[in-house]
This record gives sequence, structure tokens and C-alpha cells, in this order.
Amino acid sequence: MDEKRGAILAELPRLRRYARALVRDRDVADDLVQDCIEKALTRMDGWQSGDNPRRWLFTIMHNLFVDQLRRMKRRGTSVSYEEATGSAMMTEPSQLDNIAAREVLQALQAIAPDRRSALVLVAVEGLTYAEAATVLGIPAGTVMSRIARGREELRKELEDASRRRTIRVVER
Amino acid sequence: MTAEFTERDIHLALDGELPAERLNDFGAWLEANPDMKIKAARFDADRQRLQTALGPVAYEAVPGKLTETILGNGSDLLGMRSWWRGAIAAGLLVAAAAGGYALGVAGGPAGIARASDPVAERAVAAHRIYSAEKLHVVEVGADQKDHLVGWLSKRVGITLKAPDLAPEGFSLVGGRLLPSGEKVAAQFMYQDYSGNRISLYVTQTAGSDETGFRLFEKADARAFYWLDGGFGYAIAGAVPEATMEAVARAAYRQLLPVAAKG
Repeated sequence: MDEKRGAILAELPRLRRYARALVRDRDVADDLVQDCIEKALTRMDGWQSGDNPRRWLFTIMHNLFVDQLRRMKRRGTSVSYEEATGSAMMTEPSQLDNIAAREVLQALQAIAPDRRSALVLVAVEGLTYAEAATVLGIPAGTVMSRIARGREELRKELEDASRRRTIRVVER
Repeated sequence: MTAEFTERDIHLALDGELPAERLNDFGAWLEANPDMKIKAARFDADRQRLQTALGPVAYEAVPGKLTETILGNGSDLLGMRSWWRGAIAAGLLVAAAAGGYALGVAGGPAGIARASDPVAERAVAAHRIYSAEKLHVVEVGADQKDHLVGWLSKRVGITLKAPDLAPEGFSLVGGRLLPSGEKVAAQFMYQDYSGNRISLYVTQTAGSDETGFRLFEKADARAFYWLDGGFGYAIAGAVPEATMEAVARAAYRQLLPVAAKG
């Protein structure tokens, strides 16, 4: 086994986490990771060992995610990605099984995918705007505005969620 | 002097993209604009919620199918020094310790061992004392960073560096020299835009034990620490665990002797 495979292996936990933020269902997310590493393995020659493996792998994953979204859009008419991959299946890993975590992940799925990916790359995965820009293939300024809008949307979704929760409690 | 900021800067500050020298002015602007301060706090809270919800995914056992795809079947995992290092840096491997978990790459429980060590306890104690200081939080400020790092390296006996924690939202305030048992320790203090502080503590250890990442908690403060090559390293603070962990991992990566080379 060479160094490059080792580097991919070392990135697996983070790739899985990023995938889980993009598509909520665990199995669908792991399929995305699987596709990503398969693609990465076929492209290892093009990857310079000095390059940051995380950025390289996140870029591959992001492109696969975008392809998937596009396919979804072509196929289904009004099925949102969330409905197709996320809350419809509702498989919750036990660690995430608490209200706060569930709500924020649900809210994350409700915001536009391009904002979701920018927000997660920076706020969860700790990439700089410049790094996120490379991964997403957009200018750093666009990363910034997607994050700003993403945060606003997320806040709104979370406020709605807590309002719904309050109403449910009151109705009982 | 009134520096002008906009809502945009809230995001920049939160994401560590605001230049360190503007952070003080930004803090003052927030104080003068309660609406913006509320907004900043809200975004910060949402971010922490996201980190808390998603953080654990990185410690789940990785499905065997994924590792097999990379390694093929029956690969020789041992003797891969560089792989080993990389995996540790990514937090895949965790030392087995009392109250902790056994390590697991291709499966099994993975987590961060909770254990106590003099290094971690001293780091937390020192953090408590100096992070509370308003005027004398550091002995040498970040404006003399090269001098600070050189001085502490010489006294502690290892080539140190003050890790760049800007992506994690923290900028260097400065550092100081401290006693640590019979030896000395270096403390680098960092601060985020809202004044939360974390510190990096480095000292020589008695043995030459090597550990993975460990977590030590005492009251509301905690330290992520590791021992390596006769030195102990700890990131101490009272910020949420997910934030601390992100900082500690970033510091770990940058302080690895291997990483220092390239």
C-alpha cells in the first residue's frame, strides 16, 4: 500500500461526515463516499502527493454530489433531494438521536444544496474560504455569500422548527 | 476611533477570515451594535449546534466496505509508518486507555480516550489562571511572535511553533513560560472574536510514552492532549468540546514532527 492510499484512508472519517451533511441518510451518504473513493483511486496518478488530500477528495465528492442532484432533477419532477434521500427514510443513527441534533440536520437539508455545501465545508469541516472555493469551483466571494445566505436560511428553519415543537407541546 | 463593519464581517469573524488585527475593533463594534451582537451570537450558536450534530460522524466505525475498497483485501497494514502517522492525525487511531476505547480503523468502537495525565491537569490549571487575566494574559505578545517562539523553544528544549488556528477562529495573543513540576512549560494563548480563550501547553515529560488523542475534563474546563517523543502537548480551554477538538486537531497536525518538515 502506498502513501496515497494511506492518505485517502485517513480522510475517510471526514469524507463520511461531509457526505452525511450533504445527504442525510447514512447509507446514501456512504454510497456517495464509496463512489468518491472509487473515482479517487482511478485518478491517483493525477494527484500530486504534495497536494492536500482532503481538498482533492472533497472536490471529487462535491462533483459527484452535483451530478447526483442533476440526475435527480432530470428524473423526478417535484421530488426534492431532501424527500428523496433524507427525511423520507428517517434512519437515525443512535448518536444523532436527540432533538437538537435532529432538528439542525433537518434544517440543513432544507436549505439550498449549494449553500449547504459551502456552509458545511467552512463551519463544520473547517476549510478556509479559499479552500472551499477550490472544492466548489467558485470564487471565494461566492463562497462568502452562499455561507451568509445559508446561515440565514438555517436560522429561519431552526426558528420554524422550534415554533412547531412549541405548538406540539401546547396541543398536548 | 470607530471602525465600521457590516453584517458580512460577522461571517468573516465566525469563519476565521477576519484579519486578527481587526478582531478587537470588531468586538467593539459588536458591543456598540446590540442587534449585530445578537445576530453574531445566534450564528455562532447555530454553528456549534451543527458541529455537535455532525461531529460524532467522524468517530463512527468506518464501514469495512469502504476501507476494503481502498486497501483491497488482505493488505499488510503494519509497518506503514507514514500511513500510521496520517491516520493518527485524522483521529482514526486512539490509544487504549482506562475508561477509553480500543482503537479501531476498519471497525469496532472508535472514540477519544478519556484519561488523566499530569500534563493535561497542569495545562488546565495554567489555562484557568492566565485566561482569566485581563491585562497580563501573556508575557510576550503576538506582535513579537518570532522572539516568543524562539525563546520558548530554547527554554522547553524542542523546536516549537505557534500553530495557525485562524481557520478554527482563533488568533494568537502571545505566550509565557511556566514551571511544570521540576521542568518548564510553554503556554501559547489564543482568543476568538468574542473573547473565548484556549491555550496550547507544551512540556517535557518524564517518560517517552506516545499516546493518541486524549481528553481530560475537570469542572467546565477540558484539555485535548497527547504525548509524543518525550514531550506532552495539551490544548486547554472552556469552549465547547467540538470547537476544542477542531482546534486540537489543527494544532496536532501542525505540531507533528512529520508535518513540520513539509
